[in-house]
Amino acid sequence: MNGADPEMVVEGLVEMGPGGPRLIGSHCLGCGTLYFPQMPGCPNPDCHDKRLERTLLPDEGTLYSYTIQRYQPPPLFRMDDWAPYVLGLVDLGAGLRVMGMLSGIGENEVEIGMKLRLAVEPLYRDAERGDVCTYMFAAAGDRA
Amino acid sequence: MRPVYALGAGVHPWGKWPDKPQLQLALEAMDAALADAGVAWPDVQALAAASSRFEGGMGWGLHANEVVQAVAEQGMPCINVGGACAAGVIALQSAYSLIASGQYDVVAALGAERMPKGFIPRPPGGKDDRTDNDYLRWVTMGATNPAYWAIEARRRQHDHGTTAETLAKASVLMRRNAAGNRYARYRDPVGVEEVFASPMVADPLHLLQICPVSDGAAAVILGSEDFVKRSGKPAVWVAGCAVGSGQFGDPARRIPTIATTVREGIPHTSEVVGAVRRAFEMAGVAPKDIDVLEMADNTAWHILAWPELFGFYEPGQGDWMLENGKLAIDGEIAVNPSGGFLSFGEATTAQALLQVAEVLWQLRGQAEGHQVSDAKVGMTAVLGLGANGGSVILTR
Repeated sequence: MNGADPEMVVEGLVEMGPGGPRLIGSHCLGCGTLYFPQMPGCPNPDCHDKRLERTLLPDEGTLYSYTIQRYQPPPLFRMDDWAPYVLGLVDLGAGLRVMGMLSGIGENEVEIGMKLRLAVEPLYRDAERGDVCTYMFAAAGDRA
Repeated sequence: MRPVYALGAGVHPWGKWPDKPQLQLALEAMDAALADAGVAWPDVQALAAASSRFEGGMGWGLHANEVVQAVAEQGMPCINVGGACAAGVIALQSAYSLIASGQYDVVAALGAERMPKGFIPRPPGGKDDRTDNDYLRWVTMGATNPAYWAIEARRRQHDHGTTAETLAKASVLMRRNAAGNRYARYRDPVGVEEVFASPMVADPLHLLQICPVSDGAAAVILGSEDFVKRSGKPAVWVAGCAVGSGQFGDPARRIPTIATTVREGIPHTSEVVGAVRRAFEMAGVAPKDIDVLEMADNTAWHILAWPELFGFYEPGQGDWMLENGKLAIDGEIAVNPSGGFLSFGEATTAQALLQVAEVLWQLRGQAEGHQVSDAKVGMTAVLGLGANGGSVILTR
């Protein structure tokens, strides 16, 4: 994904930078907690400041757990050439765990603890918008 | 606070009832509960109704008002509560408080639901942008509810070595229990082979390891000590009744969010664990005292994991407990002798009251076909969207 920013399924989740895509989250100035996606406030009961700033989250993590989505989800989800896919829960550090589809990792290759790196991949092709993408996680090193 | 007693309960069988509107299910459950309690509508001083999401309530969630306008226009307070899959226990908590406070002597709690087919759809009202979690989870990754539970189950396999066979046996136990329960929807026993033969929905969970959706209704009538003494009716003490919401840092994969910030020392599924701990404290009992546990088994994983979360035994021991028959009706602690949600299906706002009805009948020795021998203390535990949790303890 070089050149123009990709068309995303929803705005405000991903920023394309020189080092690749990064998830956009919130960082609490009071307690230091990281959140994804951006939050309207900090729910930490021990935090008294609760002012949040927009931040870019770590782009590498480890797979905490996963499943394989065997049934086609309801129509809000759109994907060309639908086939079952791996859905992962990825630990990005600092206690932040993010769910997302895994890219390029088959169900026989997926393993808890594997190193992953954020990616942006097309989900479907729209007549007006062209390729519409979402964030995914790919094996770390694939895109080095 | 005054002591509160369960006078009676009524359940409309779970299933698919295309010819009965939600109000009809509610009225039938109420009639059964009134008969079970030996009282009549004129005795009822207030009604707390779990507001069903999919039908009725005049479009405003006014389910209690709809019921009293149909059968009991006697000026009583109508309390309509939300709480998604835990709404029934929040209705019960409301009824409990009205009696404990001394304001009323006989109060009913009610839940009735007709569920749409298939995956539970996105609720109305959200914006199609990143501020709506339910929108996000669909458009970015198509994460269905079973996928959330499957991620928990897969991690349990990693942490505790839970086998596919043990996970299947949790469903087998639920269906075996349901075989004797006339209110359950799925009453045919299944074996491990049939669980494995059912379609894989989200690895490692097959169709028969995930609760379906059903129509159903349940009602519970509560009364004060004064009323119990005056009327001479048999009653069971509501020793604990607690609701709560989630805690910051809870590691559970909370539907429909797409991320979690986890902190050390916070219990998994903290909304339910918090309510369970408060109920234990109110009742002055501990897990070892519980004879019957009716808990939300949205999947087979829950049967293994939840009693551990509540402190019944050590994390990871659920597999051994299940494999060795300790969770069966004649075991150490009967988990879901009713057959659980795996055999009933979810009727979201009614199911927490179904659990209380089951425990009440177990303690009275009236759980025909699935009775736990000499049950003295029973507990419920339920989870709802929005990180709602609740737990009720009855003792005799």
